[in-house]
Amino acid sequence: MAKHKGRGIATIEYPTGMNQNGDPSQAWVKLKPDGRVDVFSGTVDIGQGSRTVHTQIVADTLGVPFDWVTNDNTNTDSSAVCTGSFASRGTFIGGNAVRFAAEQARERILDIASKELEIAPGDLDIVDGEVVAKGAPDRKIGIPEVAAAATWNYGELITGTGAALKPYADVNNDDGSVELEPHSAISYAACVAEVEVDDETGEVKVERLIQVYDVGRAINPTLVEGQIEGGAMMGLGLGLLEEAYPYYPETDHRGGEFGAYLAPALEDLPDVDNLIIENPSEDGPFGAKAIGEMANNAQPPAIVSAIYDAVGVWVTQLPATPERVLRALDGEKEPRRDGKRVIFDDPVSIRTVSSDGGKGFFETDG
Amino acid sequence: MRLTVNGEQHDLHSPPLTSLLTALREELDITSPKAGCHQGGCGACTVLVDGEARRSCLLPLAAVDGAAITTLEGLGAADDLSNVQAAFDEHYAAQCGFCTSGFIMAATALIDRTPKASREEILAGLSGHVCRCTGYIKIVSAVEAAVGSPA
Repeated sequence: MAKHKGRGIATIEYPTGMNQNGDPSQAWVKLKPDGRVDVFSGTVDIGQGSRTVHTQIVADTLGVPFDWVTNDNTNTDSSAVCTGSFASRGTFIGGNAVRFAAEQARERILDIASKELEIAPGDLDIVDGEVVAKGAPDRKIGIPEVAAAATWNYGELITGTGAALKPYADVNNDDGSVELEPHSAISYAACVAEVEVDDETGEVKVERLIQVYDVGRAINPTLVEGQIEGGAMMGLGLGLLEEAYPYYPETDHRGGEFGAYLAPALEDLPDVDNLIIENPSEDGPFGAKAIGEMANNAQPPAIVSAIYDAVGVWVTQLPATPERVLRALDGEKEPRRDGKRVIFDDPVSIRTVSSDGGKGFFETDG
Repeated sequence: MRLTVNGEQHDLHSPPLTSLLTALREELDITSPKAGCHQGGCGACTVLVDGEARRSCLLPLAAVDGAAITTLEGLGAADDLSNVQAAFDEHYAAQCGFCTSGFIMAATALIDRTPKASREEILAGLSGHVCRCTGYIKIVSAVEAAVGSPA
């Protein structure tokens, strides 16, 4: 009986958003008369930071300071529609919606500024909250003055709307294929897991996770790290601990208490080394792709591969609980059914179900 | 029952077997302790009882009559964070925030008891607090930083 070390790797590619079902996100941007910016997008921030990222996207698209922008998404009734915070779609699809809305508002700002400065909109740029003539930086007007002029002189509201959607794609009923427009926002990731497997108890300890994520542009690197670190522990849980109770999503058989579902605890925390690759997409906001749901996909197969590397057996059902590891080590097979007989072909396996070798309980071949 | 909560004395009218968590949230409207599991398993309801980190969901009021309770609200204000709160803010140690106040209370008690806590002591001291978002990494970094900073 001993402890064995092993190392495994898994890679994933992750298509951003709902790939074939049509998943709109919409947004609306408007300027107050003092030039401050309101954003209404339906994307709900559940702690992942989409509100911060969308605020950054709007501020940088408009060319105004971050703290001029208020992203009020607290009311999903009055805000624009968003399909939801899932499928790694918040930054790419929701982010594109606020970007398109901000781009439209930016054009309106330049139109009004053009009238005030008597310079064609195409010759103007926006830098740090000021509309500036290209090549003549002394010819400029602040966005507060532009918004005031729109409000009080021209009787206009500077606003913009945006929407992003992966269109619905039909499924071919004959062969199940789906035709999709290709897009550039496929995220890629790789995960190496280093484990220690106890062949007596079946316990697996993940000692280290090394992860590489290609996220396009990390619009907010700290938030990207947060997603990758959180995803690492969720993936560890899916690999080792978290049993979706039988017949999920039926709730009849679920555990009756908090402790019946094991989530990773501090004791399970491995060393985690993360690397972010910024390989920009063509169609995401500022080159962003995705990070979020994809962050907990690569760990379970990497862990199972590492278990194989350590003890030479494959665990074929997740999570790789001590019981499943021991059964794999015992070479135990599932019984087969022959009419009213349940037959374990491997005599070793009977010992694990019955102290008398299954006499009078199961029949065995050989 | 009489409790001192965040320095202020209260006479409570909830029945004596009411949990401290319920009394804080529903009678005193102090909502930083969260009801996660109601079984002492998640740590989200942690408050300080006479300086010790305790699960408020498991404590009947009768068992803490006369005690001094500190909740997150008593640690600092938005413009005057405690060192642990400031470290959580600086190190981005919260995502959804549900576990955060429990972690901050536990870390506060830990540092009070073990001002130079090692990484191992931090992991042991926060053990039993569950976080589903952060993977614990930035939480541990924040507490390590708070250990190194003056209170």
